[in-house]
Amino acid sequence: MKRILYSILLTVVTLEATAQVEHGSVLIKGGTLLTITKGTLENTDLLIRDGKIIQIGKNIAPPQGVKVVDATGMYVMPGIIDAHSHAGLDAINEATSPVTAEVFTGDAINPFQVELYRALGGGVTTIHAMHGSANAIGGQCETIKLRYGVKDPDGLRMEGAPRTIKFALGENPTRVHGGGNNIVPRTRMGVEFVIREAFSKAKEYMEAWDRYNKSKGQKGFRGAPPVYDLRLETLADVLKGNIIVHCHSYRADEIFMLLKVCQDFGVKKVVLQHVNEGFKVAPELAKFGAMASVFADWWAYKFEVYYSTAYNAAILTKNGVTTSINSDDGELMRHLYHEAAKTQKYGALSDDEALSLITLNPAKQLGIDGRVGSLEIGKEADVAIFKGHPLSTYTIPMITIVDGIIRFDREKDPDDMRIYIDPNLPLEETTAADTHTNDVENCLQNAEEAFNYMFDHN
Amino acid sequence: MKKTYLKYVKRSFAFTLMCLSTLGYSQDERKLGPVSRSYVISQATIVQGPGRKIEKGTVLIKDGLIAAVGPNLTIPPDAIQIKGDSLFVYAGFIDGLSRAGVSRPKDDITKEKAKDPGNPTPERAGITPQNDVRNFLNPVDKSVEELRSLGFTAAHVVPHGGMLPGCGSVIFLGGNSADEMVLVSKSSLYSELVIADRVYPNTVIGVMAKWRELYRQASLTKTYESTYASNRTGIDRPTTDRVLEAFYPVIDKRLPVLFRADKALDLQRVLSLQKDLGFSLIAVNVKEGWDVIPKIKSSGAKVFLSLELPEEKKEEKKDDKPSESPFTDSLEHKALEKRRLDFVALHAGQAAAFQKAGVPFGFSTISSKTKDIHSSLRRMIRSGLTEDQALAALTTNPASLLGLSDRLGSIDTGKVANLVISRKPFFDEKSKVQYVFVDGIMYKIESKENEKAAEKKTDKP
Repeated sequence: MKRILYSILLTVVTLEATAQVEHGSVLIKGGTLLTITKGTLENTDLLIRDGKIIQIGKNIAPPQGVKVVDATGMYVMPGIIDAHSHAGLDAINEATSPVTAEVFTGDAINPFQVELYRALGGGVTTIHAMHGSANAIGGQCETIKLRYGVKDPDGLRMEGAPRTIKFALGENPTRVHGGGNNIVPRTRMGVEFVIREAFSKAKEYMEAWDRYNKSKGQKGFRGAPPVYDLRLETLADVLKGNIIVHCHSYRADEIFMLLKVCQDFGVKKVVLQHVNEGFKVAPELAKFGAMASVFADWWAYKFEVYYSTAYNAAILTKNGVTTSINSDDGELMRHLYHEAAKTQKYGALSDDEALSLITLNPAKQLGIDGRVGSLEIGKEADVAIFKGHPLSTYTIPMITIVDGIIRFDREKDPDDMRIYIDPNLPLEETTAADTHTNDVENCLQNAEEAFNYMFDHN
Repeated sequence: MKKTYLKYVKRSFAFTLMCLSTLGYSQDERKLGPVSRSYVISQATIVQGPGRKIEKGTVLIKDGLIAAVGPNLTIPPDAIQIKGDSLFVYAGFIDGLSRAGVSRPKDDITKEKAKDPGNPTPERAGITPQNDVRNFLNPVDKSVEELRSLGFTAAHVVPHGGMLPGCGSVIFLGGNSADEMVLVSKSSLYSELVIADRVYPNTVIGVMAKWRELYRQASLTKTYESTYASNRTGIDRPTTDRVLEAFYPVIDKRLPVLFRADKALDLQRVLSLQKDLGFSLIAVNVKEGWDVIPKIKSSGAKVFLSLELPEEKKEEKKDDKPSESPFTDSLEHKALEKRRLDFVALHAGQAAAFQKAGVPFGFSTISSKTKDIHSSLRRMIRSGLTEDQALAALTTNPASLLGLSDRLGSIDTGKVANLVISRKPFFDEKSKVQYVFVDGIMYKIESKENEKAAEKKTDKP
């Protein structure tokens, strides 16, 4: 019953917001379909109508007016999903306070960043555009589709995707706030305290409003409402289970700490991000139902990230933890298929398992697996077409489709893909890189002032 | 006892000195007012409003208002006469957003490092909506004269500050005191998506969140205050809050929010705030609005477009020899320059695009260099705006967008005597503004060419 209600709600929200989203129709012919959920289908056609996959089978006749893509000899897979990115945003870290649950990266979507097109060029169709990791409780994040070319930031939102929020443990929040401003948290204990205190306040806030709303209806009631607080309002939604927690973390002890805190406050939807020592607590994560989003083989960029292994994703997967591989980076984002392939060298995952790490699993972590993440009838038509198997070193992404619209085509890839141009910018600077590339899009953007180490990216 | 006496002597001495100096000053340098408050501009081409031209007409000004306008008027004997052969008379221009005559608050509190950056005072965070621009007006500030000499006679001015600097006013660009300048006090609540320096909100996402929170808090306290006002017995006294109270007229839609939105994404963000909260919006200093027109239309927001345009040609430094690097000669360079120019054209054509879409707009000067404003207008006209449409955007449109059509915007009997008088049609390349009337007071615009011409034209009775 709840599920029915939810899907009705979802449809209503979707209808309201999709007014401006463009949908297309395409017939992809003769490719090898890597469906993720229904196995590998050789020499099979896939028909997309108005942004949805409507038919999978052999020799589908092209309906009138539908564009045909010949994928003979090529591999067709669901669009890649990156569960940890900071692309497409004009602001990442509100680093002035250890708790900033009220801010929302969806307010800073920048659809003009060329980085988004570059990600399409690597088969990516959906990203989790996250708040940074400067604060113990950071801001809410937005799930966006890479509809590059759309000029309205609203047009990138994946309408109806569940709300998510960024938490962060360890060195980043302790250095920014403790080290930088001499306020709590200065230690890992402090981080735990900050989160517990915030949850406790949110609980009180929620109860105060419940009491007020109850008495408001009574005859003759003239009391004052509690002071409205957007931060506590958001955290109350976390406690109610309306927002998925995505927590930046490295060490096993603090990962376990967060699980305990969440358990104490009844927070069930938890995804650990980076989670380099996740392999040490994989059974505990699985038992809790927490998921993990990791790097394939990236570590040692700061003290708390030395104890790591490239087997992390495989160990987590084999322990039953829903695991994804993310980029957190504009360059890595362009070859997440390589990153997924590394789990076959380190951990011998099957093709489906490895590909799930960048498709269905991140979709589950973002709560959008009912809509994207596999090639199934009824799902949204986000598709990546590769020349060569996507887990092969020699593969080349050829075409990327979002909502049935071809957003990247290697054969038709213009030199200048910028959407908006600043006419006051000297041409020399234009060519070097667009203004939003790698040096600013890391986890600690806007928090640089607090410290100036070289390897503070993640 | 002795001490007090001494103090008294000192004080009275100082007072006498002060009086003496003022006396001396007032006798030597007191400005004389005009001998008459009646003016007549005769035999001039009068453009009463867009598309309303009188070839050889007369405008009669009396006591700050337009007393009469028409082809054949009797000239009263006490009027100061400006012979208008070859002069062109327009209604005074109205600027949608400016800080002309607005001084900065003296004590800059943003310098010191905050102890707890997450909990700054509202002032430190740039949240001072209770400020009133009238407290910062300086009628003799150079910027007032600069803007006036271009033909602007009224401007919507706003205080300096952060995300919520305070209330704006529509002022005359002339007058002797702050209050004398003001035509409409508290005409808007002004806001910008500006971050606070090293304290919360330090990002645009922080500013947006803070905006929503303040607005919703204000809605709640406002409702409770009216509950309290209806019967004050037996319930908690609401504490006053100057920041939240500044939102009350906005919530009631008695006051619009004047939101600066230069870039396309600023405009999108401002529109999404408006969609969430439902206030009346005037988007100002818009520079990249061409793609957002449909959204503006459906939101019902009012618009003022920026008079700042990007340069067509990049100025080359004189010391540099024409560079012959492989890059500047490359095809890539040509392609990039072509795209740059495409965007220069989009900027210059923005006004025409709004016109075509039927969205009325005014102009704002806040980010423009005064010397470029006339050429910007000409570039917009070259890009498809007609001269009448440009004139409307300077006069009738801003008057109606700001709710001042009964007093400003055209040369009609009974309206405020705000006029621009130029020696050639205003939009001609070499046209120069020669006189400006603000609130019935004549200002001669000093420039070399004007001096020569002026000797011939003015005749005192």
